Amino acid sequence: MPAEEMGKVTDRMRLVFAVSSLIFLAVLAISPFKDYQREWKQYKRSYLRFAQVRPDTKRLTADYSPDIDQIWLPGMNVVDRCTTCHQGITQASLADRSVPQPFRAHPPIPHNVREWGCTICHRGQGPSTEVAEAHTSTLAWEQPVLPTHFIQASCGTCHQSDLPQAPQLARGRRLLAEFNCQGCHKMQGIERPAMLGPDLSSIGTKVSREWIYKWLKEPRTMVDKDGNVTVNGYETEEAPRMPKFRLTETELRALTAYLSVQKAKPIRRYGISPAVVAAWSKNPELISQGELRFRQMFCTTCHSLAVMRAGETKLIGGDIGPELTKVGSKVNPDWLIAWLRDPEGYLPHTRMPRYGWSDEDLYKVTQYITTKLVDSDLLRDVPELDPPTDAEIQLGRRLFTEKGCASCHVLEGLSPQKEFGPDLSAFGGKNASELEFGGAKIPHNLVSYIQAKLEDPASVNPASRMPQYNWNQADLDAVSTALLSMKGPPPTSAFENLVVPRKESSFRPAGSFADLYERYKCYTCHQFSGYGGDLAPDLTYEGSRAQRQWLVEFLKSPQTLRPTLILRMPQFNMSDKDAATLADYISTVLQHPAVNPATTDAKQFTPAMATLGKQLYEVKFQCQSCHTIGGSGGYVGPNLNNAGAWLTPAWIEAWLRNPQALVPDSIEPRRNFTDEEITALTAYLLSLRAASKPQKTAFRTGAMASGQGAGR
Amino acid sequence: MRIRGLAIAALLIVAVSTASGCRKHRETVKADPLLAAYDSEPDWNDSTKMVSLGYEQAQGKRVFYQYCVWCHAEATPAGPSNRSNLTPVPPLLADGSTLNAQSDNYLETIITLGGSAMGKSAMMPPYGRTLSPEEIRSVIAFTRAIAQPPYQPPGRPGSQYSPK
Repeated sequence: MPAEEMGKVTDRMRLVFAVSSLIFLAVLAISPFKDYQREWKQYKRSYLRFAQVRPDTKRLTADYSPDIDQIWLPGMNVVDRCTTCHQGITQASLADRSVPQPFRAHPPIPHNVREWGCTICHRGQGPSTEVAEAHTSTLAWEQPVLPTHFIQASCGTCHQSDLPQAPQLARGRRLLAEFNCQGCHKMQGIERPAMLGPDLSSIGTKVSREWIYKWLKEPRTMVDKDGNVTVNGYETEEAPRMPKFRLTETELRALTAYLSVQKAKPIRRYGISPAVVAAWSKNPELISQGELRFRQMFCTTCHSLAVMRAGETKLIGGDIGPELTKVGSKVNPDWLIAWLRDPEGYLPHTRMPRYGWSDEDLYKVTQYITTKLVDSDLLRDVPELDPPTDAEIQLGRRLFTEKGCASCHVLEGLSPQKEFGPDLSAFGGKNASELEFGGAKIPHNLVSYIQAKLEDPASVNPASRMPQYNWNQADLDAVSTALLSMKGPPPTSAFENLVVPRKESSFRPAGSFADLYERYKCYTCHQFSGYGGDLAPDLTYEGSRAQRQWLVEFLKSPQTLRPTLILRMPQFNMSDKDAATLADYISTVLQHPAVNPATTDAKQFTPAMATLGKQLYEVKFQCQSCHTIGGSGGYVGPNLNNAGAWLTPAWIEAWLRNPQALVPDSIEPRRNFTDEEITALTAYLLSLRAASKPQKTAFRTGAMASGQGAGR
Repeated sequence: MRIRGLAIAALLIVAVSTASGCRKHRETVKADPLLAAYDSEPDWNDSTKMVSLGYEQAQGKRVFYQYCVWCHAEATPAGPSNRSNLTPVPPLLADGSTLNAQSDNYLETIITLGGSAMGKSAMMPPYGRTLSPEEIRSVIAFTRAIAQPPYQPPGRPGSQYSPK
């Protein structure tokens, strides 16, 4: 190549180099500018400008650094850079809602943000430094920020015991147990209740094949003319537990055939004395008398009935037992009598107590139920069903396991399939890519998936075996929260000591008390050492509180002590001997360790003390704002008309000293009484005696408001 | 020539990619006020409206419905309210026209020490030995959240400064 040409090439190359150097310089100049303009740096600078105009600039900028801030907790696998932008998170003066995000302080919570980081509760991508990447899911980052509405799920990831601060989570967990979700799914921390669905071993003796057909086809909408989804045609707050299965006509016929021949225990017919029948069968008062007895026995404490109120039909009553509005058209009358006399004879795990029935009461009440609580249209839409054939029964038996019926219902010789539904114990931590959305037009994230699946399982998977439940939005959100909380074992073993195991019952009575405790099913409504229902007062320490003689009288003829509460304790027609056995056991065994009867003696209180106590009660402390004595006073606490016959002196003193030491969630405020004041008030309360037996509260179904937990 | 073409192409790629950076389409998190709330409470004057509550206010709601609702609401979970039995009639919790004028400090003291300590009716009992200071503050936060007319915190620097 000639030198001249080489020179030319060199010149051109020089030009290229010059141009490229200029571009390179420009690029070099751009990149610091681009770096300067990065999202998180803009937030850093605007925080400084923001802090300048606040009165406490110095404190707000004390630990400011222009770099990325990071909370690094190697033990918990936390690398959170959220505080790079959320710089005011621990500044108390920035708590106000007028402070713009991302600088607002975190509201006060039981955990320190610096110790726990952000993503443990809020999810999202901790290491990310861009707004969108940190908060939403992208291909590379899969955990979007958890909507605050479901944030209680994060409490449940570590805290297996129920927290009062997270009511939605607690409700969700309770619903998971109530709806038998663990019948099919393995779940973390949710116990399988003793009885899921009813035992069906003798269902053929109780109901007809036609009724089963109707129930399986539409468990919720047995009467529904307007297309509303309602329970048995009535508006109710309580969602029914039996879900709707998508069954074909053949499957319906097979299952009804199989169930209608289940008669493991034949009915033990009971003949009501002919004299009683003869005396009452022609009496026009029979049905109204039956209704009266039905109410007097407080059946509606546990069972509900449809009642017309202000033009609306509503279910009024308890939800412990089934709704009874149409039970007369459902059950076989012979079965009904046998059931009322001995519920455990049909269903060993029932919560229904065994009343002491006289033939007269039994006749009146069963006549009322089979005459009044009926609906002749109940089975109108059911096709005529012939006697079951062997082929139908065989298919029904197979379907009972395949459809998952055996997961909730007990039936002789059939056991549930193992791992019937997917394991959900780590479901709450799943990424969207692990979920099957099918054709559902919903946002692809875990929360939307859970809500869609719960609302209609077929929407995300038409072949799903999961039946359809009927939730309201609040329940749906609560159950979603509980499911989101199940992320497998807590973050690392070092934090397992946070996890408190669920309570087990330590109350196992023995002897004649145990027989009565089982017969009257006290635990259905009352709590004993953390075990039992929440409809009625906790009786763990009842022996310290109530005098023995008062207990005997109460058991024989229950009274309500709270003006706003409707008495719901049934009259069991208890014998004197039974009442005495129960009262003896309660007053000797159910004692509070902090209440010592030896420290006080009723004789030590003088009338002068009582006079002083009355003055303290009425003037200084104005206890009448909550308690009633003699017809005037407040509705909040129990009435004290008969306090002298009801409460023990030791209990009153201990209670005045510190109510929460005896009943931790009592709303009675703990006062700063002096010893003299306590003695005077005790003397006054002990002097209060009801002149005669107070009138029993009239039964009003309309006021069956839930006063749960309020106690007496 | 081929070298120059390649060099220019390479430079252009570097320049364009640097200039455009890796700026991505920015998604915003859904801003439903109730999804961003820890809990919610129906407006006491209009039950179709929901007031969204933060964590502290939600704790206050819980405390309120356990301890205070019996006298400071029209209806209680157990039925009729105790308000009608009391003279003077206690204010409703959402009554902004009465409570907005009181400072947080005043409310904290009257809940802690009772009405008689502040020259009011002794019917309001002291809760300082039953509730923790946090619980009492949370009830006040709940009051402020549901107040009608709405509560305006006094003395806050009214900076309208926003980062963008």
